Order: sequence, then structure tokens, then C-alpha cells
Amino acid sequence: MRVSVKEWTAKGDPWVWLNAGAVAISLVMVLGLLLLIAVRGLSHFWPHSIMEAEYIGDDGKVSLLIGEIVESEDVPTEQLRHSGVKVPEGEGEFLERLLIKTGNRDVLGFDFRWVLAAKLRDRRYPEEIMAIERREWGNFYGYLEDVKESGNVVASGPEAWEEFQSRIDRALALHEEIYDIEKHQIGSVNYTLERLRLKERRLELEGDKSPQVMADISAERAEQDVIYQALQEKLADLYSQVNRDAITARAMNGNVIEIPLSKIVRAFQPNGMGLFEKIGFYFSKVWEFISDDPREANTEGGIFPAIFGTVLMVIIMSVMVTPLGVVAAVYLREYAHQGALTRIIRIAVNNLAGVPSIVYGVFGLGFFIYFLGSNIDDAFYPEALPSPTFGTPGLMWASITLAILTLPVVIVATEEGLARIPRSMREGSLALGATKAETLWRVVIPMASPAMMTGVILAIARAAGEVAPLMLVGVVKLAPSLPLDGNYPYLHLDQKFMHLGFHIYDVGFQSPNVEAARPLVYATALLLVAVIALLNLSAVAIRNRLREKYKALEM
Amino acid sequence: MNDSMTQAKAEQENKARTHGIDISAIERSAEDISIDEETVALQVNNLKLYYGEKEALHGIDMQIPQKRVTAFIGPSGCGKSTLLRCFNRMNDLVDGCRIDGRIMLEDQNIYEKGVDVAELRRRVGMVFQKPNPFPKSIYENVAYGLRIQGINKKRVIDETVEWALKSAALWDEVKDRLNDSALGLSGGQQQRLVIARTVAVKPEVLLLDEPASALDPLSTLKIEELIHELKDEYTIVIVTHNMQQAARVSDYTAFMYMGDLIEFGSTNQLFTNPVCKQTEDYITGRYG
Repeated sequence: MRVSVKEWTAKGDPWVWLNAGAVAISLVMVLGLLLLIAVRGLSHFWPHSIMEAEYIGDDGKVSLLIGEIVESEDVPTEQLRHSGVKVPEGEGEFLERLLIKTGNRDVLGFDFRWVLAAKLRDRRYPEEIMAIERREWGNFYGYLEDVKESGNVVASGPEAWEEFQSRIDRALALHEEIYDIEKHQIGSVNYTLERLRLKERRLELEGDKSPQVMADISAERAEQDVIYQALQEKLADLYSQVNRDAITARAMNGNVIEIPLSKIVRAFQPNGMGLFEKIGFYFSKVWEFISDDPREANTEGGIFPAIFGTVLMVIIMSVMVTPLGVVAAVYLREYAHQGALTRIIRIAVNNLAGVPSIVYGVFGLGFFIYFLGSNIDDAFYPEALPSPTFGTPGLMWASITLAILTLPVVIVATEEGLARIPRSMREGSLALGATKAETLWRVVIPMASPAMMTGVILAIARAAGEVAPLMLVGVVKLAPSLPLDGNYPYLHLDQKFMHLGFHIYDVGFQSPNVEAARPLVYATALLLVAVIALLNLSAVAIRNRLREKYKALEM
Repeated sequence: MNDSMTQAKAEQENKARTHGIDISAIERSAEDISIDEETVALQVNNLKLYYGEKEALHGIDMQIPQKRVTAFIGPSGCGKSTLLRCFNRMNDLVDGCRIDGRIMLEDQNIYEKGVDVAELRRRVGMVFQKPNPFPKSIYENVAYGLRIQGINKKRVIDETVEWALKSAALWDEVKDRLNDSALGLSGGQQQRLVIARTVAVKPEVLLLDEPASALDPLSTLKIEELIHELKDEYTIVIVTHNMQQAARVSDYTAFMYMGDLIEFGSTNQLFTNPVCKQTEDYITGRYG
């Protein structure tokens, strides 16, 4: 049966197809994006096999090459010839080129190198090849020779590996202890000493340095010094213990180098691992990524501080923006006379949502930090000057800047929510002798709370993904400590913090080691998406609960 | 003598029947009452109401008798709801609404400056056309007015809630689920809950704005029975579209048309022997 085009159009079929097509394209794009970052990011943690092969140099010299194959691509032969690579006649149009992670930056000078597949001979995957993750100089690939204790060989040959593993565990335990002392205990002593210094300075500024108080301060300082000395001694002892062991290993160019165990995070022989071993290894790496501090200019280790900073900043932002936005919306909708002025204000608020975020960053830096912050410092923290307390980018200013950035969203959503509350509800309350304020507080605002949560959800979604303004008002590449810790007052709003979005930018584009960082960019992006999704989902869950509770609107 | 009375009554019945009104309904409320002997609850003097420039009520004068049911009837847009909403100053909420004249509640002009409107609305409670329970539990709905007044003693609230729900003939249906959401109740139950909520703050006057128009016949019947029971305690003013309902529940009826009070008298008299031609036309359905 033939259907004319006109009939087909009249039935609305083209629209259905168009709409369905648009939905399908959107879905494919979103899923494709997620899939891309998931595959690229998550495969980074898998223990790849380490290849050993003979490499034939341009002059015919044969050398040994050890490393992971990271990528392979086909390059036009012509292009290679033009760039000066000697390619024998008779090759095909394309040549395979491999990117190999050779590690051993300390020995070779670089981590990665491109080689033509044709120049590799005799590829093999010996089980004894090991990879060592180190605290500096990146990975080491090579063969284990000896395990040494205080300079004396205690194991070599085949049994060295087991000995090595058990000594790594010991070294890691010691390292953890050292980390705890340095970071937390000495950190807390330093914090106390700094507070004492500030206290003394404040008394000095106020001019009431009574000998009694000064004596107290000195006594406390002496006490802290004693603690510090004790910790130092303990630390020295731990250091000598952790530096006891070392290994020697042979790299691909034949050099035998000595690596102290204190510099080793983990060592493994991926070629000898079974599938389950690899899966276990994979999850321990993923866990390290989520829960650990970054190492080596953020290209190794984890990104926990960035996750923590992002979440904390978003929470503080929500806590600030919600009351402010709700109060503003209630005034605009319920109390303000609905005239030209309110209309102008409303238009202005809506337009604020469209201001580029970097402008908010500039505003935050100029107004909050340089003006408000330095005035706060003058008024409340004169003892710390000239080093600023709040007169410098920090968590609080970043949160406030983002709160302003997201304020319009909350106001608009709340206003719409308030407008949707049926008149009958307000009248019902007023008819019982409630005043307007009581009606608002007890009936209208609870009923509008799902709409407010919608506003907060949108605000979170926007704030969590925002990077540009943060670079001006508080985010740093590497924050030495978390903004929430065990030292009074626990939440340090004046501290700088790390952020996932900025971390992506930093690792991907500011890193000296781009090849090593690239998978981390994907992994971090995936994590950022996951964190935002999680924050959003929890807000959505709250909203749905509220909706369930106040589902009286359809009457 | 006797004869003439019987004849008069027969005549009356006949007339009522021709008007399509069930006479027995009137009989029920047709005790010998006269507006002149009643105590006045609300005294309306020359009340004019403007929406912007438009005058919607043209100088109403009337007396609402205490502890009686007064019904307002009239075609849509005649101003009966507007007049009702004047009694607790609900019209204050309407933008551009202005009022001239006086409404006296116990020697106090409610439109005087300095009147506490919230307190007035507590004394003059109102039930609306559609049930509007708050999205709270049944208990909290009834307790709402008390909490507004700052009463927070659990025992007092418990007692009042039970008493109010019993007054509204809802207690037996909801006593086991006081903490469930009020929105789970049926329309008729919701409306009785709203009445209980209003009664809980012990008002003097109850304003009912077409309380049964959104309800099914059975629920309507229950509401009407409830009105009968409540009139011993409260002055009730009811706006209704339904003339049978006015005849059934009210002692006095006011017929309004185009912002004017056309006729006001005992229900019995108004339905059986209307003075004005307009009233007769309306109640016989010959309107327009």
C-alpha cells in the first residue's frame, strides 16, 4: 500500500522519527563518552605483560628492550622516510609503530619510546621480569639480582623474589608508621607551636604580655618541644630500620642498580600472574587510586585529596547557597510587591546564571579575597600578618564564589516551586488563624521543598563540574593536608584544597610526563563523573522522599 | 380556624411541590423561627466591595443569626462567595480588592484598623469548596491550628484532636490511623477532616463555601448531617449551589443576585412563599 508523503507527514510520523532520533543520538553520545573514559581510564590499572625483545638499531647494533606495549599505530612509510627514519625498500605502505613504556627513567632518561615493530626481534615474555613501582623515578622494569641487608647479600637467584616480597611488606609497614608520625603527630606538634606563636604575637600586639601568660606559653612550648624530640628520635630509628634493606636489579641496558626498599611501593611479576592474581592486583590498584595521596607530580598514586576537596567544597557550597537562595526567592515571590522592579530583579537574577564562570572567579578573587579577606585578616588575624589567613585563596572563598555562581539556579527553582503551591493550601492555613509568616513556614515552604531540592541538585551539578573560577579562588595542584583534620578547629576553611576537575587539567596538560598521565586523565574524569553522579543521586533521593511526603499538589 | 390552617398548609405544600422542592426537608428545619427574635452574630451594614474599579457587592445589609444555619444561594457570580469571604477577611488576599461598610462581630467592626486578622480568622473559621488538608498526618492537620496558637502540650492537643474529630463525625473512621497522611483519606473524609481542623480552634462562626460540591452524594449527606449537629454550637453560614441542600440544612436563606441581596428570610418562607419575583424565578428554575 502506498502512502503519500503528505499523508505520512500529516500522521506525524516524521516528528516521531525525528524525536526518537534525537533521543537516540543523545543516548549514544552520553554512553559513548562514558564508555570511552571508562575503558581508557580503567584499563590503566590492569597489570600489562612486560615484553622483552631485541631491538635492531639503525646501525645494525642489537640491544635489549624491556617494557609494556602501551599503544600501537600504523604510520605511512612515506611519512617515516620524510622524517629521516631509515626504512628498507620493499616495505608496505604502512608500518606498525609501537609505544613502549620502558620505565627506568633514572637509567634511561625517559619513560616511553616509539619503536617500529619491524625492528623488534624475538619478542618474549619471561616470567622473571619484574616491575617495581617506586616513590621516585617512576617504574623500574628488569631482573632481580640480589636482596641486601645493610649492604650484605642475603638472598640471590630464584629465592630472592620471595625474600624481596616479605621485606617489601616490612618496609611498607615502617613507611606507614613514618608517614603517620611525620604527617599527623609532628604535624599536630607544628600546628600547636604555630598557634602558640600566633598567640604570643597577638598578646604582643595587644600589649599585654604579662609574665604569667608568657611563662605559660613557654612552658607549653617546652612541652611540645619535648614531644617533638621524642618523635624525632623515634623517626630516626624508623628511618635507619627502613633504610636497612635494598635490592640490586638489572635493567634492560645491562646496568645493575641498587634500589633501597624504602623507595619501593610494590613489586610484581605480571608475566607470571594468573588471571585471579591479576584481578586482585587490579582492584588493589583501583583502591589505591581512590584512597591514596598522589605521588610524582600527581602522575602516580591516588587522588583521594582531590575527591575529598571536591565533595567538601560542594557540600559547603550547598549549605551556603540553599538558605540564601530560598530566602531570596521567598521574598521575591511572597513579600515583594509584584511590579516593574521585581520583574527587573527577576530578569537580572536569571541573567546571572548566564555569566561566564571565570567572571565569578575574578569577582571572588577581587572582592572576596583581596577586599573582604584582607579586611578580615586585619580585624581578626593581625598576629599572622604579613602572611594572610583569609586574604588568600582558600576553601571558604571557593565555596562562596560557587555559591554565588549557583544562586540564580536555586532562586529560580524555588520561585517556581512556591508558585506551584495551590492557593487553597495557603487559604486553609490562613483561615485557621495563621499569619502569613506562619503559613509560609509551616505549610508553603515544606511543600515547596522538593522544588528547592531540584534547585540544589542543579546547583550541585553545576558547581561540581566548575573548574575555571576555582583556579583563581582556592584550588591548588597539591595541597599538603586535607582541609578537614584532627587539629582544632577541625575544618580549616582558610586552607587551599585539591579538586578533581583541576586535577584533570593539571595532570593532563601541566604534567612533565604526558604519556604517563594520559590514562590518569581518563580515570580521573571517570571518577569526577561518578562523584557528581553520586552527589546528584543523593540529592535526588532526598527530593523524592520530600515529594512523597508532600505530594498534595495534584488536587 | 382549624380548617383555614389546614388549607393554608395544603396550599403551601402544593406550592412547594410545584417548585420542585422536597417539602419534608423544609419541614425538618421549619420550627417556628423568626429573624427578629434571634441573637445577632454578624451584623452587615451597607457593605460594598470593589475589585479594582468594579463594584462587586452593592451595599449589603443583613444580620446573621447566632447558632443557626444561614444559606446563601444564587446564580454563579452573584457574589455569595465574595460576601462569605468578607466575614473572615479572606478577600484581603485578593489584589486590588477594597471594602466599604461595616461587618460587626460582637460590637467590633472587623474592618476597623488594628483588628488582628489572624485572631479574627480563628474566631471565624472557614471551610472551602475543595477539601484542602495539609500534606501532613491526620493528627497534625487537626493540631495545626492549636500549634499556631502556641499550644504544645501533648495532652491538650490529644484531647482536642479527639474531640474535634468526634465533632466532625470522623473519629471512628480514622482513630486507628491518626499518623497516616491525610491525603490518603477519601474526598468526603478529607472535607470532614477540614471541618474538624476548623472546629479544633473553637471558632464562633463557621463559614462553609460550597463544602459538598466536590463530593459524592453519600459524602454530601454526611456533611449535611454534620452541619445539623454543629449548629447547636456554632453559627454556620453556608454557600451552596444546590437549592435542595439549602432547603435541607438551613434555617435561614439569603438569595443573592448580581451583587445584591434580593431576599433574606427563614428558609421555610423563602422556598415556599418568596416575596420577590426574582427569588421565585430562581428557585423554580425559571431563571434567565
